[in-house]
Amino acid sequence: MYKVLKATFITIWSLFVLFPIMWAITTSFKPEAAVVNGATFIPWLEFQPVLTGWKAILPGPDSLTNLLTPTLNSFIVTAGATAISVAFGSLAAYGLSRFTYGWKKYSNADIIFFFVSQRIMPPVVLAIPFFLVLKQLRLLDTHLGLILVLTSGLMPIVVWLMVDFFNALPREIDEMAMLEGCNPIQAFFRTILPLSKPGLTVAGMFCVIFGWNDIFFALTLTATKVLTLPVAVIALNGTVTPYWILAASTVFSIIPLVGLAFVIERFLSRGSLGGAVR
Amino acid sequence: MAKITLSNIGHSYNKDKDQSTWALKPIDMVWESGKTYALLGPSGCGKTTILNTISGLITPHQGRLLFDDKDVTDIPTAQRNIAQVFQFPTIYRSMSVFENLSFPLVCRGWKADKIKARVHEIAEILDITDKLGRSAVKLGADEKQLISLGRGLVRDDVSALLMDEPLTVIDPQSKFELRKKIKAINKINNLTVIYVTHDQYEAMTFADELLVMSFGEVIQRGTPEQLFEKPNSKYVGNFIGSPAMNFLPVESRSGEMFFGSTKLQVKDSKGDLKGKALEVGIRPEYVSVASAPGENVLEADLLGHDDLGSVRVLKCISGGAPISVKIPRSQGIPASKKLHLKLPSEKLWVYQDGNLA
Repeated sequence: MYKVLKATFITIWSLFVLFPIMWAITTSFKPEAAVVNGATFIPWLEFQPVLTGWKAILPGPDSLTNLLTPTLNSFIVTAGATAISVAFGSLAAYGLSRFTYGWKKYSNADIIFFFVSQRIMPPVVLAIPFFLVLKQLRLLDTHLGLILVLTSGLMPIVVWLMVDFFNALPREIDEMAMLEGCNPIQAFFRTILPLSKPGLTVAGMFCVIFGWNDIFFALTLTATKVLTLPVAVIALNGTVTPYWILAASTVFSIIPLVGLAFVIERFLSRGSLGGAVR
Repeated sequence: MAKITLSNIGHSYNKDKDQSTWALKPIDMVWESGKTYALLGPSGCGKTTILNTISGLITPHQGRLLFDDKDVTDIPTAQRNIAQVFQFPTIYRSMSVFENLSFPLVCRGWKADKIKARVHEIAEILDITDKLGRSAVKLGADEKQLISLGRGLVRDDVSALLMDEPLTVIDPQSKFELRKKIKAINKINNLTVIYVTHDQYEAMTFADELLVMSFGEVIQRGTPEQLFEKPNSKYVGNFIGSPAMNFLPVESRSGEMFFGSTKLQVKDSKGDLKGKALEVGIRPEYVSVASAPGENVLEADLLGHDDLGSVRVLKCISGGAPISVKIPRSQGIPASKKLHLKLPSEKLWVYQDGNLA
């Protein structure tokens, strides 16, 4: 009985969660008639799948818009911001986990809170200051400008996650490495970093998701030269775009993240967390 | 190898001004090269603080640390050439056994063939040659601890080997084997070894000298025999030996010691100690059951006994003071509950306010 209830609940919940995605996927392959003459759901049975929607968003004779360039922009910006955030964020987190900093009554905990507090402010508060700063630096509508802005939001996530991760790794490992002839930086790179893959992967994944999905800063701080994928997809919404093209663009924009999730899921379940001690 | 000198070294973790609260109260101490020392004491008495001060994981609040005649107080850990084995086996999980053992040599920039030869040499001594290719994570706790130790031994520049309760997580059978191996290795390498433990047997089997610590201070330093035979305080008397030393309250009357109405002859008499809180101490090993009253013989009631392998501990009470008597098990339990206990004068020590008079 319990099993039946459980299976029923999981089925209903999965349908609820997956239905919009499934519908977007099927719609992206629908011909015009299958969309405008009432709802249809099942391909080959209710309609014959066609590539009209997909041809419209990719370069070619039937192209309405080209999403490949925005995809490349999104890729550059996300990869750049993620790389900087993970590299510097994990170094900062290691320092905060292993060494004591302080000035007057402020200590490590306050520094960590300072990092996290960067995410407390709503982005809209930051939009104008960022705009003015980037304008001064002539970085408006550039990859670098957007990377720097995104980094300011992603690094706190990395620091926050990695401080906890490093705290969970026994101090004896880096103490031992130092006893055996490493300086603190070598101890970090040679002994702690190889053990930190699971933590870095999770932190990196969060950065990629937040970076890839960012729309607010991309919308306010870039224009034509660095058009990112979410902005390009939203732009399609602003015009009278047929549903099948919108559906194709939406599905297209989530493919990289879904693919990444599959790759990382395998890696995470394989990498065992835990200390080197005992 | 190096002579280690602690000159007025003290440490407080919270930088307290009040020295009485320090984790390590200022001490002056010299550890000779090539000898094995055991630091003994309850948890939190400052043993690990001393080790970490020597290895540089802690910078002492005050004082100077010298290796031979070189001041190393401000030298970073990496340059002190200390090998340290922690309480829990510390291995680099991402590496194989071979990579673990070669790590210190890689850090020192040794050439690959030299590293290989040296690692094999040490693996031979530790008897883990067949496990060199395996992932270090997959080994048992005792083998992991061997690798921790091995990483200390592969280096040819070690000033001192510090061991912080290295056998705590090892099961008793492997403990015996590992202890034997560590001892053998120390002999070969002639290292200065400082061994921290709260297990007195471990300390006594390992060390040339013992240092008993309490609340950040070294209470007594000496050979295992000295500490057993003549503890300088009640604390050491209670800490070393099992069961603990017997202490009986006494009075000094014109230079002679009286326990109740019984006069006790003490060989090493200190004269008149009137007006002080006096006790005499004697090891349970040296108390014997006498057949009749006599000199230095107390009357006591037998309360019960504990059998500990080949020995038996009789629990007695005399004039309100508990007395333990350690006898061979073969001697049998006395038939009468009323006993005469002989306290030989040459094994009795007088303690005044908790310290040897």
